[in-house]
Amino acid sequence: MTGYARRRMLRAMLSAATLQVGESGLVDDVDGTDTTALRLLEMGLVSGTSITLIKAAPTGDPLQFRVRGFHLSLRKAEAHRVRLQKASE
Amino acid sequence: MRVAVAGNPNVGKTSLFNQLTGARHSVGNYPGMTVEQREGTLASRWGDARYQIIDLPGTYSLSPVSEDEAVAFRCLHGGPGISPPDAVVLVLDATNLARNLYFALQVLELGLPTVVALNMVDAAKQAGLHIDAAALEKALGVRVVPTVARTGTGVDALVEALADPGPGPTLDYPDVAAETLAKLEEHGASPARARWLLCSEAADTVALTGATEAESSALASIGRDVCWVAARSIIAARYDRVEGLLRTLALGDALESAPAMKGSERVDAVLTHPVLGLAAFIAAMALVFVSIYSWADPLVGLIEDAFDGLSGAITEALGPGLLTELLTDGLIAGVGNVLVFVPQIAMLFLFLGLLEDSGYLARAAFLLDRLMSRLGLHGRAFIPLLSGYACAIPAIMGTRTISSWKDRVVTMLMIPYMSCSARLPIYALIIGALFVSTPDDAWISPSVDRGLLLLSMYLLSTVSALAIGYLYKRTILASPTPPLVLELPPYRVPRLRNTLSVVMDKTLAFIKGAGTVILAFTIVLWAVLSFPRDETGAGGEGPTKIEASYGGRVAKSMEPLVEPIGQDWRVGIGILGSFAAREVLVSTLGLAYGMEADDEDPVQLRQAMREDVDEAGNPVHTRLSGLALMVFFVYACQCMSTVAVVKRETRGWKWPAFMFVSMTVIAYVAALLVFQIGRALGF
Repeated sequence: MTGYARRRMLRAMLSAATLQVGESGLVDDVDGTDTTALRLLEMGLVSGTSITLIKAAPTGDPLQFRVRGFHLSLRKAEAHRVRLQKASE
Repeated sequence: MRVAVAGNPNVGKTSLFNQLTGARHSVGNYPGMTVEQREGTLASRWGDARYQIIDLPGTYSLSPVSEDEAVAFRCLHGGPGISPPDAVVLVLDATNLARNLYFALQVLELGLPTVVALNMVDAAKQAGLHIDAAALEKALGVRVVPTVARTGTGVDALVEALADPGPGPTLDYPDVAAETLAKLEEHGASPARARWLLCSEAADTVALTGATEAESSALASIGRDVCWVAARSIIAARYDRVEGLLRTLALGDALESAPAMKGSERVDAVLTHPVLGLAAFIAAMALVFVSIYSWADPLVGLIEDAFDGLSGAITEALGPGLLTELLTDGLIAGVGNVLVFVPQIAMLFLFLGLLEDSGYLARAAFLLDRLMSRLGLHGRAFIPLLSGYACAIPAIMGTRTISSWKDRVVTMLMIPYMSCSARLPIYALIIGALFVSTPDDAWISPSVDRGLLLLSMYLLSTVSALAIGYLYKRTILASPTPPLVLELPPYRVPRLRNTLSVVMDKTLAFIKGAGTVILAFTIVLWAVLSFPRDETGAGGEGPTKIEASYGGRVAKSMEPLVEPIGQDWRVGIGILGSFAAREVLVSTLGLAYGMEADDEDPVQLRQAMREDVDEAGNPVHTRLSGLALMVFFVYACQCMSTVAVVKRETRGWKWPAFMFVSMTVIAYVAALLVFQIGRALGF
């Protein structure tokens, strides 16, 4: 396993906030039991959904994602709660 | 027949509502909520069918996350005192079905007769998406009519379908959280309502649902953890159903790359670019402000001239007298004080409406969220705050885009600290009267000195507004920083007609809601400054009319109160009079000096202030007292229209009273500190 693939795998265990620009992942689950968690789930971030980081705002936060055919902006704090599935490679 | 129009934000719901009603509608508030609701009757070109069309707030879900969703669900489902509509027009964005269908399922679960308006089929076609309306109709079990609401295409067919929408669909998720739901259905909740209540318990927003006591206690006995498991499985079941529908429509993979967003991505490459994006934002805001100043100002001038002319005509016709003064200085001035805000309100909402419609406001929130989240606010709070530099009235009305109530109040309380355009004549008067320097004793040069002084007042106001927001957000209106879950919709060419209808609504709402209060204040203020009437004949060396009035007497007896901030009774009257509007300070001060002061260029008044000496021969107004007065006006809430509009927006006197008292206290203390410390330092 190359260093890149290893980093990629480690990141894939993390969250939507750790994606690189242009990179995609599959949602595993949303952390937490509050209003925000419900809203994230209802916006379509349910298990198995593909999510791609498109860009970050000029100050690095918030982030802009592509999910289910539309563009969604989340702060890093919220994006961290969107856990991604382990990469299958 | 009552027809509710439901849909996600940015799907063309407003366009469709305007098409259906011919833009004839009224705006009301949903009982007990701050959410606005528009209602109208079906336009007459479809015959005399008596359809009442209700526009629901655009939401992404019906689960009660905020007031908007709670209102939308209660309107559709019905409840105590609310009957469900007879039919629903469900507006779906054909370019964005993967997300829109989730909301669609929630609406269909209600089982109401429903017609789907498959909107923006033209944009979908452009993006290379072929949506098979017949297949969707079959899969959903309700009529589906392709429409393009902007042009009106398909609206006839939609109205036709509404005449016979067919029976309501039956949609259920057997075995999903069945046990938990059964516990709520025992208490009479419909399956749809049971799912709704479950999600509210999970999100901790039961307060928004108006749940019955039995339902609340059932929810409490189920417990939040169980509710969360159930809510997750319900949401997952709905998205499973959505995936199935997309497969039926052969759209499974076509949507993955967001084909309808391709053009927007190219625009975003510029508009949310780290450098170009910020430059574009500054340019857009500069355009808005320059336009408000340069386009609204002539209109404001026209309104003022018209009312002056009217006053003059009445004075001429009736001759001097009490009735004439009541009519001119009370009634006409009051109506003028209301209407004078209309150009600025209309202009600001025109721009905000066009920016919102085009999709840019979401980008502005995206760009500035970092800054606002440091304060604990949402990126959406930035634009109303910025608008406060022009005028607090439209800015406060603009806070409606902020969904959290506490954050809205925080923003409303911050806005009056921003130095609005009405403070400028005051700063100009004081700087012009008291900060006159020759090139020799100037710090840099006379004009630069003055410019810097003016700038420092703006800086002081901005820093103060941010500090006040930071403080309130952590004390009296403490709440966590609202999460940013923001859709960046595709850019679209805004529809002027839709925006103008919103501008109309906002302007009328202001005139109706705040107008009466402003009118009443103006008349009271006129009375205070003109009674008792001096019948001995004006002029001569005696006291000026205003000095003999109740207001003048109060100001004189309160001189000890304004002395510590370096002012005399004349300024006291000015402060009293300027409660009508800050710039009135100039003309009231003029009256106190016994002259007609021109608002635009009060040369005489500046000179009178400069040369005014007390009994000992010392100047009454010094640079230090001038600075203290300016600082006072940076903070003081000397604007009854602001108070009136906050009263309207918060539906009560609590917040406007708090705002007025706190700002006045802060203003007094700040001016006191400036004057006393300045004097102690020997200035």
